[in-house]
Amino acid sequence: MELIGLANYAVYMAIFIGIYAILALGLNIQWGFTGLFNAGIAGFFAVGAYVSAILTSADVANRIGGFDLPIVVGWIGAMVAAGLIAWPIGKICLRFRSDYLAIATIGIAEIIRLVVKSEGWMTGGARGVNNVPRPFGDLEYFQSQLAYMLMVFLILGIVYFLVERQIHAPWGRMMRAIRDNEAAAAAMGKNIERRRLEAFIFGAAIMGLGGALFAHFNRSITPEAVDPMVATFLIWIMLILGGSGNNRGAILGVAVVWIIWSMSEMITDQLPQEYAIKAKYMRVFIIGLMLQLVLRFRPEGILPEPQYTDETNKEKVQRGSPASDAPTT
Amino acid sequence: MTLLELINFYLIPGVVLGSIYALGAVGITLVFGILRFAHLAHGDLATFGAFAALALVAVGGVNVWVALPLAMAICGAAAIGIDKYFYDYLKERPKILTVMASLGIALMLRAIVQVVWGVDTETYTRGIVRPETYWGIRIRDRELYTVIAMLGIVAVLWFFLKNTKWGKAMRAMSDNPDLALLSGVDNRKVTMLTWMIVGMLCAAAGFFLGLNTELKALMGWTMLLPMFAAAILGGVGRVEGAVIGGLIIGIVEEMSVLFIPTEYKAALAFAILLIILLVRPTGLLKGKVL
Amino acid sequence: MLQKATSHVLAMQEVRGGYGDADILHGVSIEVAEKEIVVIVGPNGAGKSTAMKAIFGLLKVRGGSIMVDGTDIAGWTPNRIVQHGVCYVPQVNNVFREMTVHENLEMGAFLNKGDFTEACDRVYALFPDLRERRRALAGNLSGGQRQMVAMGRALMLSPKLLLLDEPTAGLSPKYMEQIFEITRGVRDSGVSILLVEQHAKQALAFADRGYVLAAGQNRHEGRAADLLADQEVAEMFLGG
Repeated sequence: MELIGLANYAVYMAIFIGIYAILALGLNIQWGFTGLFNAGIAGFFAVGAYVSAILTSADVANRIGGFDLPIVVGWIGAMVAAGLIAWPIGKICLRFRSDYLAIATIGIAEIIRLVVKSEGWMTGGARGVNNVPRPFGDLEYFQSQLAYMLMVFLILGIVYFLVERQIHAPWGRMMRAIRDNEAAAAAMGKNIERRRLEAFIFGAAIMGLGGALFAHFNRSITPEAVDPMVATFLIWIMLILGGSGNNRGAILGVAVVWIIWSMSEMITDQLPQEYAIKAKYMRVFIIGLMLQLVLRFRPEGILPEPQYTDETNKEKVQRGSPASDAPTT
Repeated sequence: MTLLELINFYLIPGVVLGSIYALGAVGITLVFGILRFAHLAHGDLATFGAFAALALVAVGGVNVWVALPLAMAICGAAAIGIDKYFYDYLKERPKILTVMASLGIALMLRAIVQVVWGVDTETYTRGIVRPETYWGIRIRDRELYTVIAMLGIVAVLWFFLKNTKWGKAMRAMSDNPDLALLSGVDNRKVTMLTWMIVGMLCAAAGFFLGLNTELKALMGWTMLLPMFAAAILGGVGRVEGAVIGGLIIGIVEEMSVLFIPTEYKAALAFAILLIILLVRPTGLLKGKVL
Repeated sequence: MLQKATSHVLAMQEVRGGYGDADILHGVSIEVAEKEIVVIVGPNGAGKSTAMKAIFGLLKVRGGSIMVDGTDIAGWTPNRIVQHGVCYVPQVNNVFREMTVHENLEMGAFLNKGDFTEACDRVYALFPDLRERRRALAGNLSGGQRQMVAMGRALMLSPKLLLLDEPTAGLSPKYMEQIFEITRGVRDSGVSILLVEQHAKQALAFADRGYVLAAGQNRHEGRAADLLADQEVAEMFLGG
């Protein structure tokens, strides 16, 4: 490969890593800091991608659109839409254990997939939404890629900063208390339901933003881009491997998994057609297996959650003791 | 539309689909009730069972009705193995991690099916089966067998749970795990027994879905939501509730095409799930809420 | 078998331990003689229930000994302790609510391989009310009857020692008397009983001997009637 090709590829990878990192930070708010199991990341991603694409693209026949709004409005729309979808789901399911949320989010992702496929008047059906404007799209190819990469990184930086600030605020302290100690959390009563809902919506909105960045980068969004299971699962393994509860860990996990994932794709694409398809599924199998191995041998991930100074001791005791020391229901 | 048309084109397919959901939902309710987590690999375990039966029919050359019990045994063993190698070591940790592991297992099982059997749709038998008509009611043999087999399997399970020592131990574990342990019930044995039964139920659900429609890698995953909706609708931990819930979801899905676009048939289970969680999270028969 | 030092069914000496790393019990010693009813009382957080759980192997014992019938059972699993003749009735969630009364009793004899009709008959003889309601779901019984089921379940294996964790908690005074009555009946059938009680006065009035725990240690011990008359003990439980 030529040097320029290599540079192109590196930038391309970096953009994807940036977008996935934003999604992983969204999941980190929900799972890492709050313990909410969202198995429908692809759904919130898709909502963000489609909403931003529809709001900002030019008029096309057979589909609503032509709003031609500024891209930033599209992004805000993406976040609001993803958050609005998260709201009723969270409202209903967060009263129960996270298992119910897992089922419901699988459900909402399925429904979103159905809507995307069936409601052609809105989403363009199988063809999707095309001609989505791209920031810096008028520049020359490499410059344009580079500019987009910097923009994604800037947004990632802002999201990172916002999440970190929330985590160190009283809000974050409360979230960790809720996650680590159900009994103490229950004593806070109604309040924790609200906090959980906030975390769920906040995380979903960030996922929506990630979707929007993806759509604008690709200049289009189609149903294939939102394969519910693999997309969702990739982000999970990224977060768990990197270290849930640790934002830097999340970003590191994204980089590691995404590089392995795309490198392995390059390798399997070299295989003869017949094996290439099987190899594609083997990759999925290995991702699943990787999750099992991480859960078993390094549940805290590469970068474990930092011990937050204000409550180091308390947390150590709570998290260190096995769950079933004394029989509890 | 006449009443007979309603029965032939909506009610019967609904009951058949509902029976398939019921088989799956009973397994989900057992895992939920006894092992206390949402088993997200349930649908893909059913897919695995269905394809195991296909291998026996296509490669082994056995009759489909011989393949069913064999596939159930294989799938039961697979479920025990999955628990031993992937779930068991998580049992001291928060249950949600097992839920996560089960999502990974779902992906792995599906990948195995796709690698071994490919992604084309398959069937157990070829040719079109015409329905028989009894007093104007049109029903295919396989549809009849599906409903009868579901009732038979659930009846055997019911008898086992009510009248045998280990069946009672399973119920005790579901009812009050601490007290069951204090009474000397061996948690490990109950867990393995539960997985064996759950694996068998999964294979049966997958088999009958394959028999009545076709086999494909995503068949079980698409059943996951209706199965969970059925288990929660019936009341978590309630075997009879899961059967009722399964039948309701199946019938409602088939009837729904009278009112909403066919594409959204699959959305119904989700809607029912959310409504039941909103108005009566214990389900119709007062089950558990985790 | 070692020579028995005493005729005590239970003799726990200087037991220390707790759930996590921190000790809750800082040296508790309790003895129960044959066919004796012994009550542990004390303020909230004194470690009463914890002491009982220590006997039943539900928490880490880091020091001292727990002799049951001359054998030290400290560190044993609850299963093994059950087979050694100690049964435990937890304070809450002590029945299988969705199982019938009869099935609850059967679960009590789960470790027993043989026929348990005889054991059931013995329990039903002790609690005639239960025989009438044997097909009822335990969850549908009154509080007092449910406590009978819980005790009946624990008695299925003919234990030498029965541990009752606050059997009267949440019951009306009428039921409290009934439970004490039943407990006496169980003792008369040959079982030693150790119970933890919140209602200190009533419990001391009914038990043979008592222990007062405070802050995880023995504070007072003696004949129940003496403790009841003791000025200092009475002050601890003013209004209690």
